[in-house]
Amino acid sequence: MTATAGPRPAPPPRARWPRPSRSATISIASVAVFFLLWQIAPELGLVNGRFTSQPTLVLKAALEVAVADDFLRHARVSLTAFAVGYGLAMLVSIPLGIVLGTSRIARHMLEPPLMALYIAPTLILLPVMIVWLGIGIASKIAVAFLGAVFPIIVNTMAGMREADHKLVRMARSFGASRFDVFTRILVPGALPSIVVGLRLAIGRAVLGVIVGELYVSQAGLGFQLTTYGAAMRIDRLLVYAIAVSIFGYTMTALVRAIEARLQRWRPE
Amino acid sequence: MAQIEVRDLQITYDTPKTGERFTAVEGVTLSVEAGEFVTIVGASGCGKSTLLLAVAGLVPVSGGTIAIDGRTVTAPGPDRAVVFQEASLLPWRSVLGNVKFGLEMQRWTRDDRTERAMRFIRMVGLANFADYHPHQLSGGMRQRVNIARALAVDPKVLLMDEPFGALDAQTREVMGDELLTIWEREKKTALFVTHDIDEAIFLADRVVVMGRNPGHIKEIMRVDIPRPRHEDVLDSDLFNGYRKRLRAHLAEDMASMHLVEGAQA
Ligand SMILES: Nc1ncnc2c1ncn2[C@@H]1O[C@H](COP(=O)(O)OP(=O)(O)O)[C@@H](O)[C@H]1O
Ligand SMILES: [Mg+2]
Repeated sequence: MTATAGPRPAPPPRARWPRPSRSATISIASVAVFFLLWQIAPELGLVNGRFTSQPTLVLKAALEVAVADDFLRHARVSLTAFAVGYGLAMLVSIPLGIVLGTSRIARHMLEPPLMALYIAPTLILLPVMIVWLGIGIASKIAVAFLGAVFPIIVNTMAGMREADHKLVRMARSFGASRFDVFTRILVPGALPSIVVGLRLAIGRAVLGVIVGELYVSQAGLGFQLTTYGAAMRIDRLLVYAIAVSIFGYTMTALVRAIEARLQRWRPE
Repeated sequence: MAQIEVRDLQITYDTPKTGERFTAVEGVTLSVEAGEFVTIVGASGCGKSTLLLAVAGLVPVSGGTIAIDGRTVTAPGPDRAVVFQEASLLPWRSVLGNVKFGLEMQRWTRDDRTERAMRFIRMVGLANFADYHPHQLSGGMRQRVNIARALAVDPKVLLMDEPFGALDAQTREVMGDELLTIWEREKKTALFVTHDIDEAIFLADRVVVMGRNPGHIKEIMRVDIPRPRHEDVLDSDLFNGYRKRLRAHLAEDMASMHLVEGAQA
């Protein structure tokens, strides 16, 4: 087996804004049909409305939640855990990925376990975190951190590894020092991959926070999800679920926008 | 003393598979005077790039010496600049940013960088494209940027490894023409690798013909065509004579290649 064999992350997907097109029209239509079916199915007796709720009920619940459910307090609790976990993950994994990506030995030693952790659902570590850190914000942060850290490390490493040797040689021909090569060639070249990692990490960090709150919290969006789940308040449960999705989607779209800017120089 | 002095040069590469060292260039001796334009031709794999990169200080010398103005080459230096064949532009930098790159590496002051970069961008005819990124440029334009970047650092020696190798025949001729004009004005010493015989003759004061197994110099041919040269010399008897001579060399190489392959079969 050659030295380069081993698990490789899939090439980072290219960011593209959806263009308004036939497919967009079809999507909108299918969403509309979905809402329509959801609304009328309980009334036609096709499903039990207690379990499925209805769009109009969810809308009403959303208004209730917005005015009188401490929504902002719960959102702030979740957001704090997310920001701290994700921020710490960024601080740790970008430098680590850059360093590991430059060292061939470090790469061959650490890539398999890192890939395993990248692929494994880090949520399964939640019980361990609870044992170590107790029930509270620390465990939530830890799970969000663990979710976010591996996609960033792995993608950063991949970006550093895919450094263009021709560009390195060109830089050396102009007398670039190792430091110059690092800062002017390797890191800028890896930037698009790093941002892909940052994007993939968002969903995992959100998941970490919410699932953490399902188990170990007295507040937060995840806590509200369990509360309303237990009370069979499907309408409110869905409001919180949608709020979480919107947050994740917005963050992801934001990073995608950065990605698109960075990749302007990348031809197809 | 000549500006570039290559003496009994040997270059070997590690071949991890067999564990032996592969000799790419052996016994190469070559002097290039200041301001001279020397081209190197030869079949692919005969060590042209290796020789050029060694002069650039990018490939370690395993035997013999290379000196520029009497100083032994051990690493790249500001007295030399390389124009590579393929896209060696930084894709995330604009044309201006790319031309500034060498100036940044060689610690030119900030003001000088922009001014000089723009001057050479203008010289290669890309003044209106300074803000473009490489993927927005044609192959010919990209090579102009490469040339501008190399000239901007004010090297004494310009080293070019098949800079027009990826261009179509017509663009290639135009670029050769422009390169000569610039070279005549800038008075640089030029070492230029190509596998195109016409290009080798058209540009050169002397053509170095290399052969393979291992890479060596077969002949050094002086080209006595007065400058400035124009494309019509390509049809002259004089040019045809040079062309025949180089073709004979390369045909010989091709024949020996087939013999080797036949023996292995
Ligand atoms: N980095 C390298 N490692 C091992 N062998 C090499 C390397 N670069 C070139 N070679 C070998 O050295 C010989 C000469 O290569 P090169 O100088 O690129 O030839 P040319 O430019 O004339 O086509 C070839 O046989 C090539 O395979
Ligand atoms: Mg070559």
